[in-house]
Amino acid sequence: MAGMNDPPPIAVRSLRKVFRQTTSGQSVVAIEGLDLDIASREVLAIVGQTGCGKSTFFDLMIGLEAPTAGSIVIGGKTPYGDFDHFRGQIATVFQQDRLLPWRSALDNVKLPLELIGVPEVEQRERSMAWLNRLGLGNFIGAYPHELSGGMRQRVAIARAFVVQPGILLADEAFGHLDEVTAAELRETFLSLARESGSTAILITHQLEEAIGVGDRIVVFGRSAKLLADIHVNRWQEGEYAVLREAIQATLQSNEQDARLNRP
Amino acid sequence: MHLNEYREAGLVGTFSRQTVVSLLVFVVVWEVLSYFAPALGIPAFAIPSFVRIGQSLMSITFIDVAVTVARVIGALILSFVLGVFLATMMYRSEKLESYLFPMIRLFMAVPVVSWILFAVLWFRGVEFRIAFVLIAVCGPVFLVDALDSMRGVSRELRGMMRSFRPTTVQYFTKLMFPAILPNLITSWKINLSLAIRVVTIAELVGAVTGIGHQLAVAQELFSVADVFAWTLVLVALLFLLEAVVARVERRLLRWRA
Repeated sequence: MAGMNDPPPIAVRSLRKVFRQTTSGQSVVAIEGLDLDIASREVLAIVGQTGCGKSTFFDLMIGLEAPTAGSIVIGGKTPYGDFDHFRGQIATVFQQDRLLPWRSALDNVKLPLELIGVPEVEQRERSMAWLNRLGLGNFIGAYPHELSGGMRQRVAIARAFVVQPGILLADEAFGHLDEVTAAELRETFLSLARESGSTAILITHQLEEAIGVGDRIVVFGRSAKLLADIHVNRWQEGEYAVLREAIQATLQSNEQDARLNRP
Repeated sequence: MHLNEYREAGLVGTFSRQTVVSLLVFVVVWEVLSYFAPALGIPAFAIPSFVRIGQSLMSITFIDVAVTVARVIGALILSFVLGVFLATMMYRSEKLESYLFPMIRLFMAVPVVSWILFAVLWFRGVEFRIAFVLIAVCGPVFLVDALDSMRGVSRELRGMMRSFRPTTVQYFTKLMFPAILPNLITSWKINLSLAIRVVTIAELVGAVTGIGHQLAVAQELFSVADVFAWTLVLVALLFLLEAVVARVERRLLRWRA
């Protein structure tokens, strides 16, 4: 996918994930029968309340967890079963920056390039270019504890983009930042994702964020039940307040609000 | 300031004012006791004056110091490699851990003296005996510390690393080992002090070279001054080695706030 024009579409079929609690031995259904298609280069926002399985879906998408049943197929391969195939092709931005504290900003950005065996000189050039692009050119030698929260998240974004991934996943990536920084980073992330031609999946619980960045919004109910699948371009900007209200009502009732039934 | 804080701050090597005062008080008290020992019914040789101890210090044989240092460093490096290797294997395999861990706990419960006796009874070569004892005592400390530290690496960092799909070697070299480095350095500090004591006892019992052996000779000659002099060398050696580790620590962990 990296370096190719169009990343392959993603097909999620009858996806089920059940966790067994270590202490009680009880089973918890995190995702139940999820079907979802994500087109190439699409920017998809996934919204849902806490505990609806968004983060589990994220872990399944990046292949950290195996589905209990069903499948996620990307270009004929599965992220868990064909784990190594997706090296350098799926990149992630997490809620917390998750930078390695013993590495400088530059070395943190270089990390995924080291893992896929890019030559040292190229690692440095590409990492420097991304840090410059994200406005951190003067901080390449700074350690994470020397950077602000927003700057650290910029480094994390650079680390995700540096491998030119076909698929980008962001899990509540801007939720912990102040509104001004979050809006700025959201915009940067979106423009970079569109420019790079990656398929981007943003998981969020903030409706403003979902409406602001997504080509499409899917609303997860409990157990990752698909409550609504909204193509944002079918809504006028003046209708966003209604859209937000309808999504809110859907989340609260765990049933799709009739206003979202728009062909 | 607590002694450990002095050591952490590397002040032991730089002799702060408090350290000098504290040492001077000890020297004065010792010297006074030495002067009055016969009057107190204590034999004069039991508390020798610093002049006598100084004479003993001048006769220190550096080859014995070098031999002891080499034994300590060599055995610690072997213990470190073995301990971290086994910890890595145990971290990767719960089954291996479930079988090995009880054995490690058993090893850790065995007193040093028993290890020395086993070494004397089982092996012939002096160097092998000493290495065996040091590794048996220090290896499990490295192992347990490394294993605990690996388990303590945050789930978030492990998840982030795995999301980039590293090979097993990359996973350990890029994440786990750098992450547990601060704990490994602490293990080195603990083991240095432990190894200096253990090697002395081991040399005392079964060696013909080294500081422990020289202590045994001094004991046979009833020379408290020599015992004191060699003990001073041991303490100085420990401080010196700790200072080296502290310097390495400052260099390797310069990223810490």
